[in-house]
Amino acid sequence: MSIVEVSGLAKSFGQTQVFQDISFRLKSGELVTLLGPSGCGKSTLLRCLAGLITVDAGRIAVDDRDITGTPAYSRGIGMVFQSYALFPNMTVAKNIAFGLAMQKLPADEIAARSAKVIGLVELSGYESQYPHQLSGGQRQRVALARALVVEPKILLLDEPLSALDARIRKSLRDQIRDIQQRLGLTTIFVTHDQEEALILSDRIFVMDGGRIVQEGTAESVYAEPASQFVARFMGHYNLLDGTQSKALLGIETTGYIAIRPESILLSDHPTETEEGIPGVVRRRQLLGNIIRYSVESTGVSLSVDRLNGSADDLLPEGAAVRLRIDKSILREVH
Amino acid sequence: MKSGLLLIPVLAVLSIFCLAPLLEVAVDSLQTEDGIGLGNYLEILTSPFYRQAFANSLSVSLWSSCLGLVIALFGAASLRRLPGRLRDAVVAATNMASNLTGVPLAFAFIILAGTNGALTLLLRQSGLFGNFDLYSRAGLILIYSYFQVPLALLLLYPAFDALDDDWQAAAALLGARVWHYWLKIGLPVLAPAILGTFILLFANAMGAYASAYALTTGNVNLVTVRIASLVAGNIVLDPDLAAALAVLLVALMVLVTTLSQRLLKKSYHAR
Ligand SMILES: Nc1ncnc2c1ncn2[C@@H]1O[C@H](COP(=O)(O)OP(=O)(O)OP(=O)(O)O)[C@@H](O)[C@H]1O
Ligand SMILES: [Mg+2]
Repeated sequence: MSIVEVSGLAKSFGQTQVFQDISFRLKSGELVTLLGPSGCGKSTLLRCLAGLITVDAGRIAVDDRDITGTPAYSRGIGMVFQSYALFPNMTVAKNIAFGLAMQKLPADEIAARSAKVIGLVELSGYESQYPHQLSGGQRQRVALARALVVEPKILLLDEPLSALDARIRKSLRDQIRDIQQRLGLTTIFVTHDQEEALILSDRIFVMDGGRIVQEGTAESVYAEPASQFVARFMGHYNLLDGTQSKALLGIETTGYIAIRPESILLSDHPTETEEGIPGVVRRRQLLGNIIRYSVESTGVSLSVDRLNGSADDLLPEGAAVRLRIDKSILREVH
Repeated sequence: MKSGLLLIPVLAVLSIFCLAPLLEVAVDSLQTEDGIGLGNYLEILTSPFYRQAFANSLSVSLWSSCLGLVIALFGAASLRRLPGRLRDAVVAATNMASNLTGVPLAFAFIILAGTNGALTLLLRQSGLFGNFDLYSRAGLILIYSYFQVPLALLLLYPAFDALDDDWQAAAALLGARVWHYWLKIGLPVLAPAILGTFILLFANAMGAYASAYALTTGNVNLVTVRIASLVAGNIVLDPDLAAALAVLLVALMVLVTTLSQRLLKKSYHAR
């Protein structure tokens, strides 16, 4: 349960500036995801917070205590690595107990506290296995348990799920969220998966090119992207440039018009007199409960999402349709 | 069956180049003046002179192997932090150094650290380390280390690739200092490679002859020097006694290897 305050953080490796002027505040018990494309500096930022790399400028404070110069081993920050980083020469139990052993706690306390987290991450029965005998999901839970057992003030998770397959990913994601809320742990979760970010977060920080370009709740970041970059990154937004938006909607813009695929209505049996923009279905993709159509209209290709209802509603490729776009939810971004 | 056939070349090479000579030596070692027997072994084991040779060989080999291993461990750990091109250059130089043995190496050391060697004079003038004697057992350990260190470095360096930098980061965040990390994770993971390297270094040193002879002209009593002089007949010619010495040398190697294998079994195993 800790408050984190970061201001003016900057880091470069030689000539390459990884990030600059990073400032944010985490509320106690909040889960924030750091969302951004590969190479934007997410891991580097986490490592700086953890004290594994020194920063060039700025200040990191936890509960009003400046920890910018504190070495990693006494920061009280827990971290889970993308590679799990389990110690291969130790059993699950030894891995998990490592942090407690470093604190030189009495053996019975180590055993009791380890057993508690082992139960929390549902690894009972695996105590004497070695990491190489575990599945990816189990390894990740060992890594989580190892970080949790020392009761860190802050938990940092660096793409903890990216090496796992989809099903395990979802269940572990929910498990992490559940544990985090139960312990009230202030957490930063790094990911480049927008869906993961939307589902997990109290707040999302979108990072690009070493800057936090937008921060807000999942709903606000998704509905109101602050820039063209965020719109592209957050969903499957249709982005129309000036000429396209003039042709399709009659709207002039120096930036882009962003339209969410689910906000466009398709009418499948258009009459000559019906309102809307005429178009032709070019492609159809089944995404489970949603069908994504690629519709071409006045030379512009648009993604349109429809709920996957009955088979009668399916539009064949080449079908003529009319598009109705609610202009009140269009967003202009730059 | 197929895999059995594939073993034939290996077995052939092993038997022609390893087993046959060994067998020959073993048979010779049993030949004595009064027929077949253990007389040669008895002579060696009861002679303080030969026992001293074994003691010297063992101590020079153990010390130079341990020294080489420790230095190479630090070297390999720091080598991993070097930028690529510099690292390649160091590895190449190491490769060369590990092959520079025998008379040329002894000569290089004599002009550098011998009685009137450049380094000796320099150190003597500065008052440091004034009475180091290159032609002693300490000198031998030094000169052996010259090829032991690079050999150990070459053998150990690839093993360091198995270490994940994130382990050290993870350990640090759990409260471990650097030495905790090495003690609890780094060295245990490297243990098989360290033990394997140690055996090779030890065998290498036990069998070394030319550099030792060139440096001390036989003044330091080593098993290999004894074998050579018995075969060459400098003082006495007794190839059968030499064969017995060789067999004991091999037996010692087998013992050390077995002990290390025992240790290896107990240590952590990579999958
Ligand atoms: N030790 C280093 N030395 C030099 N450059 C580095 C170092 N670590 C990271 N970088 C550079 O910093 C930038 C950001 O790297 P970082 O690993 O933080 O990205 P990331 O957002 O975590 O990406 P990913 O999603 O792929 O993990 C990259 O361009 C990378 O090349
Ligand atoms: Mg990363």
